[in-house]
Amino acid sequence: MSQTAATSLETAERRRAIALAAPAFLWTLGFFVLPFAIMFVLSFWQRTDEGLVASWTLENYRTFFGETAYLEAALNSIEITLAVTFFSVLLAYPLAWIIAEELPARYRRLALAMAIIPFWTSYVVRSYAWTLLLAKRGVINTWLSDWGLPVLDLANSRIATVTGFTHFFTMLLVLTIYASLVQMPPNLKRAAADLGAGPFATFRHVILPLTMPGIAVGAFITFAICIGDYVTPQILGGGNDLALPQLIMLQVGRRADLPMAATLSIILMIFVTIAYLATARYMKVEGR
Amino acid sequence: MLKKVSVALAITTALWSNSAHSQELNALVWCDHTDDALIKPFEEKHGVTVNLKEYEGTGAALSLIEQSQPGDWDVLVIDGVDVPRAVSAGILGELPTDQLPYDSLFPELVMEENHVIDGKTYAISEKFGYNTVSFNKDKVSQEDLADMTKLWSGDFSGQLAVYDYYLPVMGMLAVGLGKETANLTMDDLPEIEEALLALKDSAASVGEVVASQTAIATGEVDILVGGGEWVTAGLTATNPELDWMIPDQGAVRWSQSIGVFADSKQPDLALEFVKHVLSPEGQAALATSSCYWAMPANSAAGDMLTDGQKTALRWDQQSEYLAKAQLYPAPDSELDAAMQDVWTRFLAR
Amino acid sequence: MKRFFVCGLYLLLLYGFIFLPVIVLVVFSFQAGRFPIPPFQGFSLKWHEAVLGDEDLMVALFNSLLVATVSSLVSLVLGFLAARAVSNGSLPFSKGIRGLITAPISVSYLVIGLGLLASLNLMGIGLSLWTVGIGHAVINTPLCFAICLSAMGERQITAERAARDLGAGEMSVMGLVTAPMILPALIAAFLLSMTFSWDEFIIAFLLSRFDVTLPVEIWSLLRSGLNPKTNAVGSLVFLLSAFVVLAAELITMRRK
Repeated sequence: MSQTAATSLETAERRRAIALAAPAFLWTLGFFVLPFAIMFVLSFWQRTDEGLVASWTLENYRTFFGETAYLEAALNSIEITLAVTFFSVLLAYPLAWIIAEELPARYRRLALAMAIIPFWTSYVVRSYAWTLLLAKRGVINTWLSDWGLPVLDLANSRIATVTGFTHFFTMLLVLTIYASLVQMPPNLKRAAADLGAGPFATFRHVILPLTMPGIAVGAFITFAICIGDYVTPQILGGGNDLALPQLIMLQVGRRADLPMAATLSIILMIFVTIAYLATARYMKVEGR
Repeated sequence: MLKKVSVALAITTALWSNSAHSQELNALVWCDHTDDALIKPFEEKHGVTVNLKEYEGTGAALSLIEQSQPGDWDVLVIDGVDVPRAVSAGILGELPTDQLPYDSLFPELVMEENHVIDGKTYAISEKFGYNTVSFNKDKVSQEDLADMTKLWSGDFSGQLAVYDYYLPVMGMLAVGLGKETANLTMDDLPEIEEALLALKDSAASVGEVVASQTAIATGEVDILVGGGEWVTAGLTATNPELDWMIPDQGAVRWSQSIGVFADSKQPDLALEFVKHVLSPEGQAALATSSCYWAMPANSAAGDMLTDGQKTALRWDQQSEYLAKAQLYPAPDSELDAAMQDVWTRFLAR
Repeated sequence: MKRFFVCGLYLLLLYGFIFLPVIVLVVFSFQAGRFPIPPFQGFSLKWHEAVLGDEDLMVALFNSLLVATVSSLVSLVLGFLAARAVSNGSLPFSKGIRGLITAPISVSYLVIGLGLLASLNLMGIGLSLWTVGIGHAVINTPLCFAICLSAMGERQITAERAARDLGAGEMSVMGLVTAPMILPALIAAFLLSMTFSWDEFIIAFLLSRFDVTLPVEIWSLLRSGLNPKTNAVGSLVFLLSAFVVLAAELITMRRK
């Protein structure tokens, strides 16, 4: 084959690749990047009685930083999201571990499938189901009082929101952590034990670092979805724990103030970006 | 293969625009207009499809209209106090008063100061009720609640829920503080906010219609601030312990009006719909809608309602109630924004 | 032995936590009384009947299936083509393009929905099931792309090259070689997209007008009063999803 034929073949391949990637690329550009850019611009606009006014002002951002209720909503969201991420990892890790390491191989698939079954219920209804459980006269409190225990104030609170969220994200984290556990070479553990490491040291120095990518990926996805979710705090929070997405929907639904909603969305995305930067370095196995 | 795909696409497109009737009427409404009992008879009589879009709060409605093309909408249901706002924005068109049942309308609900501008009528009342106090008779007595200020005194800590809508609840608190809802200004807000935040400290939850209803019906709380017949009337059959009352200071009366869009492409059909909603049958269905119950504006609906329904609505005590209640506040945009800020602080507390 | 008990106990507790809401949801959908909370007042199917007889819910269910199918097909085609472009290594700026196509995964649905809403408003495009479908295809394209990409490898590139050397055109290579080779991944991507679109609320809520999807209809049901009908819808949706998952599982298992 001559030199020029090889180059023209390469050019043809490249052209074909570009043509194949173009639809998805343009789609994402048109319906994701462009709307995001429009929203960014919109966050500097103003909503007045006459409608939207195109301008370049930081007024909306000033409102956010000047109004304690807005800052509080942002703080609530961050606290809730961090708590959810923490508890979900805490609950999911042992479960993923038991499924991957302790259960006989033939039960693993079933155990995993069972762990994510609630995922197939409707998302809106799932939060609602938790209100039935947590209400003052709900299932849990009925059990408690049947056993002569005091009734707990669980509904309409941060406890309810965090419980509802943790329930959902535990499933997700079981999957990502399980995936990184089964990728771990089994002889590594044995090698660590041969070198005299106790179970705790093995976990701390061998297993945890190797499963860190699974935790980091799962934790980041949890953070990103959780901080942007409107349904769960709206249904479970009982108006006692205003979260950022609720504040955004108040702007859309009651004030028709899209610019302010855009500003709050940009702020929300800044939090997600920070979370990404914080977890990104753990997402890859340390090359040692 | 390609043929199959195109056939499938054709079917999909056909199904996608699945309208049984050629003519469509687009109405921007509150949730109580979505029952089949109200809509179906009209659709069948005129052979049309009624498309309904629910909204919450006049601000949202105005922005929905702003975002639409002229002629998109035919019928609008709106807060009675906001009719002048909609008229000055050029949204509503004139109604022919001779075709509407003014003879049997409750006199208080004619509300000319809201509906008639420069001698032209733009909307008509269709339903009204009160934002006041709903309570559980087994737990709290009517006397305990006679003084509205008790609600935020801390006496009922953990026992009450608040309805999540800023206008009625803030209006109601203003009445409790001895103010007039029609004359609220920015200077009144600090006092209202103080009472509101004190109320929040006693509140177990703040929720929308269903959350509020649930909270009081399941015994989660004993008092619902901002409630009224629209919360409890529909529940009297299953929950006889639930009741509602107007405190000594008074309460807030809300009313909703219906009108036709100025740029509607089918004003005649839209008017027919308004007439249908105002007819005794339409009024009865609207009064007992699944979303919430409330008094119909047309007294002729009385013949269509059962005695039980009338008792739940307090049909016979309306004159006394109407006298005690003030209209919903109708703030200008500056006051409205300030009120919403106060409400956001209330939610975030 | 002790280890066995500790593990068993943990499994029991956690599966209890995971299943509790689902069980409560389903059990109280058979509540004979007015409210889906204790005490259980007897067994009744009336709420299930009410759901099946509710025309709005059935229309919404149909809308949901339609949006899910069409948007998932779009996502699958876009994702599959892009994955093929990236997999054979001759795409310029491959890393950047990969990053862009997968970017929507890390952005909350609320923000994506709001962005689209603002853009459509500015362009004067009305909301409909089509706009919901566009939103869902935006969130599902990265998913399909990632799943297809992970299924493509050396083996399939070699086979494609062989087919091309034998004179097959690009369309036949894709349709007769690539797609069949990664069929399980295509099915998985399609079904996963379906379930994501089917269950998605906030984008559908923001971008729909008169015709709504099932989650949006359930949301308005939730706002119109607490009653076991919501439980019944939830249970039926669960049943339907479980059926699809089971079917998918059987299809992929038989192919192995």
